[in-house]
Amino acid sequence: MRLSLQIANRFLRFSKGQTILIALGIAVGVSVQVFIGLLIQGLQDGLIDTTIGNAAHITVSTDDSKGIDNYSQIINDIEGSDLGITAITPSITGNGFLKNDETSEPIFVKGYDLASAEGIYEFADRISEGRLPRSNNEVLIGIGLADNLGVLVNDTTDIFLVDGTLKEVMVVGFLDFNVSVINNGWVVTGIDTASSLFGYENAVGTIEIQVDQVFEADAIGAKVAQIVNNDKLIVDNWKDQNAELLSGLNGQSISSLMIQIFVLVAVVLGIASVLAITVIQKSKQIGILKAMGITDGKASSIFLLQGFILGIIGAALGILFGLLLSYAFATFALNPDGTPVIPLSINYNFILTSGMIAVVSAMIASVMPARRSSKLTTIEVIRNG
Amino acid sequence: MGNIIEIRNVNKIYGSTVKTQVLHDISLDIEAGSFNAIIGESGSGKSTLLNILGSLDDPTDGYIRIDNRQISELSKKELALLRNETIGFVFQFHYLLPEFTAIENVLMPYKIKGKKVTGEIMARANELMEMVGLSDVKHNLANNMSGGQQQRTAIARALMNNPKIILADEPTGNLDSGSTEVIYELMRSVNKEMGTTFITITHDQRIADKADRIIEIVDGRVMESRRPALEAV
Repeated sequence: MRLSLQIANRFLRFSKGQTILIALGIAVGVSVQVFIGLLIQGLQDGLIDTTIGNAAHITVSTDDSKGIDNYSQIINDIEGSDLGITAITPSITGNGFLKNDETSEPIFVKGYDLASAEGIYEFADRISEGRLPRSNNEVLIGIGLADNLGVLVNDTTDIFLVDGTLKEVMVVGFLDFNVSVINNGWVVTGIDTASSLFGYENAVGTIEIQVDQVFEADAIGAKVAQIVNNDKLIVDNWKDQNAELLSGLNGQSISSLMIQIFVLVAVVLGIASVLAITVIQKSKQIGILKAMGITDGKASSIFLLQGFILGIIGAALGILFGLLLSYAFATFALNPDGTPVIPLSINYNFILTSGMIAVVSAMIASVMPARRSSKLTTIEVIRNG
Repeated sequence: MGNIIEIRNVNKIYGSTVKTQVLHDISLDIEAGSFNAIIGESGSGKSTLLNILGSLDDPTDGYIRIDNRQISELSKKELALLRNETIGFVFQFHYLLPEFTAIENVLMPYKIKGKKVTGEIMARANELMEMVGLSDVKHNLANNMSGGQQQRTAIARALMNNPKIILADEPTGNLDSGSTEVIYELMRSVNKEMGTTFITITHDQRIADKADRIIEIVDGRVMESRRPALEAV
């Protein structure tokens, strides 16, 4: 083995140009793989984060107009289970209008237990001006809504509902979620204010849940339904509500996999053909080594080791190029606000796997040359000069 | 002394559709420690015979015993081991590995055995380089030496594992007469001092005349096998 390694090493160093060419070929393949892989992953992570980062992954709701009355018991039961729940909050939501002077805007009132809702919505981080509501009848409104109505912090305005209910509230802060639907329509308040506005008596409309394993939301949702064990309650999850997004992501993953496979096939064919030529170039050496008594196994391991060494060098260079490309993309391809178009997501497992696949591919590519080297005899070399 | 190589009724036929018989029913004994010259016209089958004597080529039929082992009964690995330990080859074209230096080439047969290169082994390699007069250029890559130097390196390499037999196919075919003389003197002295059996193909009658025995091949048959040294007495 040591001798084979030494010979493989010398062969590679003796034909430097060829060695660099193959290593670069592998490197280009690996870098494309790493770059595209990371790009697609970053894109998908970004999309998922935007879609469900600040939203409930699982909701428990009811069609009953009285709402869910035993909600604290249900919340206790769900929290007591071992389902990887990261946040759970009761909520009351409803439509209405916000009126200031003569103008009014349609709004979506969201009443939460603000302390536990923080785990999902991170309101404190989203406040562009003002503070969180501390007592009843204090609200946060979307920054777009505030603009449209000309409301300032600490102004008092009216919420009215289609049934004529009217409630005076104080605006204590503005929210900025970077999403126009939310910024132009949301009014966030404490659960008690919402409860009295919409006429729930000791009940809530929905229980919102966030989980650790977002892609398990459907399975966890089914377990939540078992815990709740009530036909009148509806348990829903983000995956069912976003089936199109998921199938889009899936299609994207498959197309990225296809690109990676074809790149790999091209790389393997490239290495195999160059190594095949190397065996012919080195047939004299192999022939004389066999006359000196090298075994067929050792003779073929020379070429397998060449494939291995080339694979390692190519993979290392490729990962480096791939990461540089990814960093460059994340640094120079920016949105107008300075954030990267696609956030960089470094997945070490993926990078390592790509590198290992390249090494294994290079070795597979060297199997044919290795077999030729094993079959070559001294007499062929002597006869063919 | 006994025979180091025995071949019996060896035929060699090339081709399957158009058959060309290169060797015809050759039987030959090579005495251990002897210096043998094979002569003959080109195309007479000398090289084929030498390759069969060295186990590099298989006869179409007949049997070969080298160092008391019947070649056809050896596995590929045993055959590789036999070549490594018992036989040294010197070809017309030196066939050094150009990727390695002269001394590394000399060490190669020992490394193929798979053993570690000790100080003692290194000393032997250096001694061999000195014997062939190449101490000064031993760290040159094989390609950075003259033809004569390369061929002498090949001889040192063939001697590295102290083989019982050295087979040489026109080792001086590409060299000037001065180098030819040096290389034959070298081979002769190794033969005398170490008792190594030499079988060498040559076109040079003067060289052949210095051998213990001349084997003349004509059209694939052994025509004459004589002992010039004895005749001279």
